[in-house]
Amino acid sequence: MSSLTAPAEETIDPAPASPRNGQREATARLLEPVKAQLRRAGIVTVAAGLVWPLQAAAIAIAISSWTAGKVDLSLTILCAGAFLLGGLVKAALEHHAGRILFTAADQVVARERQRLTSCAAKGGLGLGSAEIAALAVQKLPLLQPFVTRYQMAMMRVAVIPLTLVLISLWFSWVVAAILLVAGPLIPLFMALVGMAAEQASRRQMVEIGSINAALMERLSALLDIRLLGAGERALADFEARADDLRERTMAVLKIAFLSSTVLELFAAIGVAMVAVYVGFNLLGELTFGSWVPTLNLGAGLFLLLLAPEFFQPLRDLAAAWHDRASGLAVVAELDALESGDQPARLGAGRALPRLEGPLALALSGCAVARGIGSRLALPDLVLKPGEAVALVGPSGSGKSTTLAVIAGLVPTSAGAVRVCGEPLGDINADAWRARLAVIPQRPHFADETLAAFLDPRATGADPWPALQLAQARRLVERLPNGLATRLGETGDGVSGGEARRLLIARAVMAGGDLVLADEPTADLDPETAAFVTNSLLALKERGLTLIVATHDLALAAALDRTVEMPR
Amino acid sequence: MRALGEIMVLLVKAAPMALLRGAALSVVVLVMGAALLGLSGWFITATGIAGIAGIGIAFNVFQPSAGVRFLALGRTAARYGERLLTHDATLRALAKLRVDLMAKRLTLGARALAKLRSEAVLTRIVADVDALDGVVLRLLLPSLAAVAAHAVAFASLGLLAGWEMAGLITLIYLVGGVLVLSTLTRRTIAVSRDGETASQSLRRGIIDTLRDRPALTIYGRLSERLAELARLDIKTRSAADSLDRDDRMAGLFLALVVTLAAAAALALGGWLVANGRVDPAVAAIGVFVALALGETVLPLMRGASDLGRMASAAERIRDLQGARPASGEPLDPSRAEDGPPALTPTPATPAPASAQTPALAVAMPDGPRFTLMPGESACLVGPSGAGKTTLLLTIAGLIERPRAEIRLFGRPLETIVEAERRKILVMVPQRSALLAGTVRDNLTLPGSQTDARLWEALQAVELTRLFEARNGLDTRLGEAGAGLSGGEARRLALARAILCAPQILLLDEPTEGLDAATSQAVLAGIQGVLPDTAILAVMHRGQDAAKFSRQIALIGASILG
Repeated sequence: MSSLTAPAEETIDPAPASPRNGQREATARLLEPVKAQLRRAGIVTVAAGLVWPLQAAAIAIAISSWTAGKVDLSLTILCAGAFLLGGLVKAALEHHAGRILFTAADQVVARERQRLTSCAAKGGLGLGSAEIAALAVQKLPLLQPFVTRYQMAMMRVAVIPLTLVLISLWFSWVVAAILLVAGPLIPLFMALVGMAAEQASRRQMVEIGSINAALMERLSALLDIRLLGAGERALADFEARADDLRERTMAVLKIAFLSSTVLELFAAIGVAMVAVYVGFNLLGELTFGSWVPTLNLGAGLFLLLLAPEFFQPLRDLAAAWHDRASGLAVVAELDALESGDQPARLGAGRALPRLEGPLALALSGCAVARGIGSRLALPDLVLKPGEAVALVGPSGSGKSTTLAVIAGLVPTSAGAVRVCGEPLGDINADAWRARLAVIPQRPHFADETLAAFLDPRATGADPWPALQLAQARRLVERLPNGLATRLGETGDGVSGGEARRLLIARAVMAGGDLVLADEPTADLDPETAAFVTNSLLALKERGLTLIVATHDLALAAALDRTVEMPR
Repeated sequence: MRALGEIMVLLVKAAPMALLRGAALSVVVLVMGAALLGLSGWFITATGIAGIAGIGIAFNVFQPSAGVRFLALGRTAARYGERLLTHDATLRALAKLRVDLMAKRLTLGARALAKLRSEAVLTRIVADVDALDGVVLRLLLPSLAAVAAHAVAFASLGLLAGWEMAGLITLIYLVGGVLVLSTLTRRTIAVSRDGETASQSLRRGIIDTLRDRPALTIYGRLSERLAELARLDIKTRSAADSLDRDDRMAGLFLALVVTLAAAAALALGGWLVANGRVDPAVAAIGVFVALALGETVLPLMRGASDLGRMASAAERIRDLQGARPASGEPLDPSRAEDGPPALTPTPATPAPASAQTPALAVAMPDGPRFTLMPGESACLVGPSGAGKTTLLLTIAGLIERPRAEIRLFGRPLETIVEAERRKILVMVPQRSALLAGTVRDNLTLPGSQTDARLWEALQAVELTRLFEARNGLDTRLGEAGAGLSGGEARRLALARAILCAPQILLLDEPTEGLDAATSQAVLAGIQGVLPDTAILAVMHRGQDAAKFSRQIALIGASILG
C-alpha cells in the first residue's frame, strides 16, 4: 500500500451484478430524501393524465351534435374551447410535475456527487481516480432520466389505466372487458415486457461496451500498429469485428423489440376492437354490453377516444425501460462502493499556520491496520533537526505507509506519533503538515501551468532559485512555454528523471522544514539517479531535514543514517 | 453544424438501403396510426348516424371494420420492421464511423499517437462516438418521417375532407412544430456546449485532485480544491437545469400545438358541417387525424434538444481527424494529402547502391552521425532526456526534424512511401501495446504466418516455455495484454516485430523489465533469427552493451540543468 503515491489504477467490473432485492433497497435509500417531492410529482402527473377524459368528452359532444339535424356552431366552438383549455391545463400540470422531478433528481445527483468526491478525497473507495471521475461526472447524470422518465411512467401506470377502465365500465362492460383483456393483467404484462427487454438491453450494453473497449485498445496501440506497418490489416480486422458485434447486437435487439411489439399489438387490437364493438352497437347489431340497449354516438366516440389513452402509460413505461436499466446500473455501482472501508486521514487538508516549536518527530511502537486482523508494524524513529535519514526495506514492507503516517494521511492503530512535542491528531495535523514537503514516487501533473505546479502553497515566490537548487533550471528554460507550460496528465515532454527534479523543486518551494521523499531514484538510470541524489543532498545542505524511503543503496549511503523497516 | 452535416453524410452512406427502407417503414407507421384513428372516428360517427336513421345492417360495416383491423395489425408489424431496420442501419453507421476514425488516426505522427494513450482522450472519443448514435435514429429519421407523414395526411385529408381541413391542420403543425423545435435547438446549442465544457473540467478536476491527493493534503490545498470542485459541480448542474427547462418548455408548447390543431379541426369541422360542405362522419376524420398526428412531432423533441451535444461531438470528432497536433508536428508527408513538403532537400546525385551501401545512415544537425551496415547491431546510450527515443522515432519517420538526413539503403527517408518504409524498417516502441485476443492474434497482427514461424519467433525471445505451459498459440490475453508480466509482454512485442523480418529494426529499451540472463538470451535470439538485419537499440543498462558490435553515445549535455 503506497499512500504517498497516486492510487493504483485498478479496474473493477463495470456493473457488478447485485441481487434484485439489494437493488431495490439501494434505490429506496437513494430516493429516500426526495420521497415527498416524488409523491407530489406523482399526484400532479396523475392529475394531468385525468384531464384527458374531459377533453375526450368535449370532442364527443361536439361531433355528436353535428348529427342532430340543425348544427349548433356555438356548441362546437364552446367544446373546441374546452378542449383547448383542457390541453393547456394538462400540459401545464405535466410541465410542473417535470420541474418537481428534475429538482428531486438534481438533488440526488448533487448529494451523491458530493459524497463521492469527499469520500474519495479522504482516501480509499478502492477505485482509481479515472473511475471515480467517470462515475461522478458521466454516470451519475443517468439517474436523472431514471427519476424523471421512469419514475413518472411508473406513477402513471399505477393509476391511469385502471381509472379509464372504471370510466368505460360506466358506459359499457364490454369495452371495459376489452381493455382489461387487451392489457391482460397489467403487472404480468409489464413483467413480460420488462424482463426480456432488461435482459436484452443489459446484453446489448455489454456488446456496445466491448466494441468501445476494442476501439480504445486499438487507438492506444496505434503507434505500434503503424510502426509495424500493420495499419491496413488491423483496420480490416477491426471492421470485421465491429460487423460481427453488430450482427450479435441485432440478434439481441430482435428479441428486445419483440416484447415491445407485443405491447403495441395489444394496444392496436384493443383500440380496433373497441371501435368495431362500438360501431356495431351503434347500428343496433350488438345490443349486449351496454347498460342501455344501444350507446349513443357521443358515448361511442368518448369510449373510442379513451382506448388509446389506456395504453399510453404502458407504452411510456416500455420506452422508459432503458432509463431504468442504466439508472439501476449506476445505483448498483454506488451501492458496491459504499461497502468499501475508508481509512480516515487526520485533519481537513486546510492551510493553517505552521505548528510552533523546534522540529521534532518521534515514532514509537506504531502499527497500521491492514485489513481485518492483520497489522503492519512501523519502525521506531526519533528524528533530529537537520539530519537525512534513509528508510530502507524490501518492497511491500511499509516504507511508503510510514511516510504517510508521519504526514497524518494514514491513521495508526497502535503506538504514538509525536510531532514537535505533542501527539499528532486531528487538531494539529494541518498545522504539522504546514511544516512538511513531499516528493511522491510518481508525479502527477494536473491541468495547470508549471508555475502553479511548482508553487504548491500559492506563495507567489520566485521559482527560479528552487529550480536552480533542484538542477532543473535548464530543463524549464528548454520547454517551449517555460513556466507557462502545461505538462498535462502524464508529464508529456519531460522524462522520468526530469519530472523527479521538478518534484524536488516543488518540495523546495513548499517551504517546509521536513521533506518526505518516496523512492526518488526508482526506475532511473545510474547517471540520472546520481543527479537526483545530488539535488536531495543540496536540500540537506540548506538545513532541511530529510526522510527518504528507498531501496537504492547508493542513495541510502549518501545520507546520514539508515533506519530498517521491521520484519 | 457543418461538422454534423459531414458526419450525417458519412453515417447515411454506411447503409443507405437499410436506412431508406427503415425511413419508408417509419412513414408507414405514422400514416397507419393516423389512418387507424381517422377511420375509427369516421366508422363510429357514420354508424351512429346510420343507427339514428334506423338503416341498421344495410350499412356496409364489413369493409371499414376490416380496415380498422388491417391498420391495427399492419401498423404493429411496420413498427417492428422499422425498429429493426433503423437500428441495424445505425449500428452499421456507427461501426463505419469507428473504423473511419481509426483509419484517419493511422496517418498521425508519433506525438499525436502517443496522446491517444491518454485515458482521458480515449474516453472523450468514445463518448463522442456514442453521442452521435442519435444523429440518424433521433434526428434524421424522425424528421424525414414526420415531413412525409404530414405530406400524406395533407393529400388524403384534402381529398376526403376538403382542402380547408387539410390546410389548417398542416399549417398549425408546420408553423408550430418548426417554431418550437427551432427555438429549442437555438436555445440548447450554447447551453449544452457549456455544460459539456463544465463537466469535462469537473472530470479533469476530480482526477487531478485525487491523483495528487497526498501532496494537496500536505500542502493544505485539499479543502480549497474540494470547494473548487463543488463550484464546477454547480456549473455542470445549472447547465443541466437550463437544458431541462428548455426541454420541458418545448414539450409544453408542442403539446399545445397538437391540442390547438385538434381544437381548430373540431371548430372547422363544425363549420363545414353546418354549411353542408361535408357530412359529419368525414368531418370527424379531420379531428381524429389531427390528434393522431401528434405522434409525428413528439419524438422529434429528444433529437432537437440533443442537437447541441451531437453538434459539438461531431466537431470534436472532425477536428481530431483533420487538425494538426498542437505541437505543430507535421503529418507524415507520404500519407497526408496536404502534408508539408519534404523538409530535407533531396541530394542532386542519387547515392550509389552497392554492397557497401549502409542499411541506415543518420546525420542529425546537432547530434550523432553514424551508419549501420546490414547485419550490424548498435546500441544507443545516453542519459535520460538526451533524445534517444526521439531519434528512433525520427528514423522511423514519425517525427520530422528539419535538416536531419536519414537514408535507408542510400535512399533519403522522405522519398520512400509509407508502405515501403514499413516493409524496410520496423520499430518496437518503449511502451509497446498488445491487444486482447490470442497470442496468435497478436503475433499475426502485421500479417499471417505459419505456426512453425510463430514458434520460431517465440523461441528467439525465450517465450516458448511460458506459452507451452499454457494454451500454446491459443493462449488468451486480456485487454492490453493483461495476464502477462511487463517483461513477457515486452518479449511478445519483440517476437511480433521479428516476424515482420525487417531489414532495419529499431528497439526502444528492449530489455526493460528483464533480468540480466534473459535479456542477454533475448538479444542473442533476435540477432540469431535476423542475421542480416541492421539493429539499432536504445539501452540504458551497461552490461547488455556487450551484445552489440558498436555503441553510439548520445550526449544531451545541453538538456541537463
